[in-house]
Amino acid sequence: MRQKFHIDFIKKSKIFFAISLGIMFVCLMLNIFLIPTRVDIQFTGGTIVKYSYSGDLTEKQITDVAQGATKDTISFTFAENLASSDSNSHMVSLEFTNAKAITVDEQDEVTKAFADAYPDNNFKVEESSSVDASKGANFFFKCIAAVILAAVLIIGYVAIRFKKIGGMSAGVMAVIALIHDLIIVYFVFAMFNMSLDDNFIAVVLMILGYSVNDTIVIYDRIRENRKKMGPKATTAEVSNASINQCLTRTICTTVTTMAAIGSVLVVSLIYNIDSIISFALPMMVGLVSGCYSSICIAVPLWVMWKNHSDKKKLEKEKAKKSAAAEKKAEKNTKKSEQKKTADVKSEKKTAEKLSLKKEEVSEEKSADEPVKETDADPEEKDSQEEDSAEE
Amino acid sequence: MKRVGKWVFFVVFILILFLTYTSVFGIYGENGDYKITYIKGIEDIRWGIDIKGGVEAVFAPADGVDANDEQMNAVKSIIDLRLVNQNVTDYELYPDFSNDRITVRFPWKSDEENYDPGEAIKELASTAQMVFRGGSNQDGEELLTGKDVKRAYVSTIETSNGNHSIVVNLEFTDEGKTKFSEATKKYLNQTISIWMDDTCISAPTVNSEITDGSCYIEGGSGDGGFTAEDATALANKINAGALPFNLKIESYGTISPSLGTYALTAMGIASVAALCFIFLFMIIMYRLPGFVAFIALLGQLSVSIMAVSGYFSVFASFTMTIPGIAGMILSIGMGVDANIITAERIKDELWTGKTLDGCIAKGTKSSLSAIIDGNITIIIVAVILILVFGPANIFSSLFGVSTTGLIYAFGYTLLVGVIANFIMGVFASRLMLRSVSGLKFLRNRRLYGGKKKS
Repeated sequence: MRQKFHIDFIKKSKIFFAISLGIMFVCLMLNIFLIPTRVDIQFTGGTIVKYSYSGDLTEKQITDVAQGATKDTISFTFAENLASSDSNSHMVSLEFTNAKAITVDEQDEVTKAFADAYPDNNFKVEESSSVDASKGANFFFKCIAAVILAAVLIIGYVAIRFKKIGGMSAGVMAVIALIHDLIIVYFVFAMFNMSLDDNFIAVVLMILGYSVNDTIVIYDRIRENRKKMGPKATTAEVSNASINQCLTRTICTTVTTMAAIGSVLVVSLIYNIDSIISFALPMMVGLVSGCYSSICIAVPLWVMWKNHSDKKKLEKEKAKKSAAAEKKAEKNTKKSEQKKTADVKSEKKTAEKLSLKKEEVSEEKSADEPVKETDADPEEKDSQEEDSAEE
Repeated sequence: MKRVGKWVFFVVFILILFLTYTSVFGIYGENGDYKITYIKGIEDIRWGIDIKGGVEAVFAPADGVDANDEQMNAVKSIIDLRLVNQNVTDYELYPDFSNDRITVRFPWKSDEENYDPGEAIKELASTAQMVFRGGSNQDGEELLTGKDVKRAYVSTIETSNGNHSIVVNLEFTDEGKTKFSEATKKYLNQTISIWMDDTCISAPTVNSEITDGSCYIEGGSGDGGFTAEDATALANKINAGALPFNLKIESYGTISPSLGTYALTAMGIASVAALCFIFLFMIIMYRLPGFVAFIALLGQLSVSIMAVSGYFSVFASFTMTIPGIAGMILSIGMGVDANIITAERIKDELWTGKTLDGCIAKGTKSSLSAIIDGNITIIIVAVILILVFGPANIFSSLFGVSTTGLIYAFGYTLLVGVIANFIMGVFASRLMLRSVSGLKFLRNRRLYGGKKKS
């Protein structure tokens, strides 16, 4: 099969793990000690009002008036008003930090206070939102339930799908990669000081659906190549070849998807529209992470797991084999004569391949059962396998 | 491989161009000064409040009162009535009966310079003032108030000529019973009008003195009397006036029209930029299949836009928001995945040295499962997004309606995008590719990413 790239992803896997864990650790530390996570009023309840005004006012002039008009504590954010054609137009965002919705009346008082104090500055409510705390909590639980439901459905789909292509172990690794991506998305929100809101839930759900897709495509290739490349190839070799063959597709798809969401991000950055930035930026990082985690996390982890479990199996088989060999010597059947038995005991590599083939057989028989140790003669099985492979 | 006629490509191509043009620009006719819409274009899309500016509010009974369905309908009808009185016609109203919530969304009236959305919300939530007055004028004597009415409901009675007619029954409280019997005595054969806030909702004539604390209102003087709808509406309104609880504003949000228009411009630029980039990328990477992919992509986009605007003037437009547009752009980016997978497979096959037709057949066949894989998970997610952020549905009966409905459109466009992708990116583009490969001058293997034929 045509293969443009020849990168040994499996060998370099430790570097990838280190990068991922490193980023997560640094973000976690920053998150704990420097940049606390902000939760939007959609979940906590509260009120945010954005005013636009023209002309020059100092920040203190504004904060004093607003704070004078209400008993709540207000936190202020100042910005330029790019939406206005007037170049001297500004925005101020008032967040009433009490975790309860303020009434329309209270909000009106602040608006009136601005109008009274600075009649020439044309204060206008551009955006306001106010959420009752209990409603926010409700919405939060609804979102959590949705994410859990989505996760269950996706994992269910992965389970069904992976029965065929890599067994349960591959499915588990795909889910680990998924969790990796979600953590990254969370840290994007935390590190850029964007508050967790409905955008966050939308991005999390989107990544849940998108990320597992790449992983499935690669495992599908692994299954295909396992047959093509023959028993001599190790798990690592097969996996590497599969990743490299899929790489063009993975990159191209990621590029087009990124181009789409990237243009949204760039434009929203130029236009400075917060609500779109906090959607596009984490989405973009999540897409990259989804692509990266399939290649650099899910598959290498699976190879490690596979090698580890094969080793264990090998030891069990060795014990059985010695018992079987005694039996066989007595029976001296035709089949065992034809078989080459010598190298089985000696080399680890051969044993690895042997057990791999075995797994394929058992998977064909009953996909949902994990690899079973049967009492049948392993060599006999091996030969059967080879027979069927020749067909 | 089954041959596909050469003409197929041109038919599909022209069809897609037609769909793209009409879904974007629409088809309009003129009838004097009156504009007739045959096909709806982008400008007929109903924009959400985050784009054209507007108000969103969620109302609930105050003090944790548990309202029954009848009372919730009453709340709904009073809000309906008040919105119409405020001259707001393009509103959305979602009652949630299981949680006793009502979500209202309506656009900010941009022509009003000093429109105060806060005031509008307050007005919607204020306690309904229902008064029964003598005569048909608002300055008539005040006879009864909402407090005196127990409930109103719809039923049918048999009229003197044997027909059935729909009526609105009223039941009064004990106090109301006395007041009403006095009133009907005084205004016998005259009109008693029922006023909600400043609107007269009914002005029946008293036919007899009513002393038992219940009466019914017969529909107007016309032949049919009330229609079932009219009767229900009136009963709801009267119930609203008799509501035993106040409404509280649970959450509200406003966005000014200027911010929204600004955001829409930005998203427009973003979608054009994304399309251009993907076009160049696909042509450079995949040549002929890339070009076909882009045509299919245009088709996908137009199907998505059609699903939002309604396309034919009989279908209502979906309410489109900024995240909805983002979803559309995102599904463009993801949509070409189907073409990329197929084109890659075809390239792979070409490398093995098979015939061009064989390669295309094999490539399209072997890529289908991967394409389906990619889309199923997106469908799962899109459906859940619709459930979480959408108006009242199964999910919201458990957890209440959402504080914001903006993301709803994201789920919708994502789902529509996937379906459109199957129609265009998978089906139509395969058809086109097979057809176009039958054209002699396009049979060069290099056009498909293969080596020059040796």
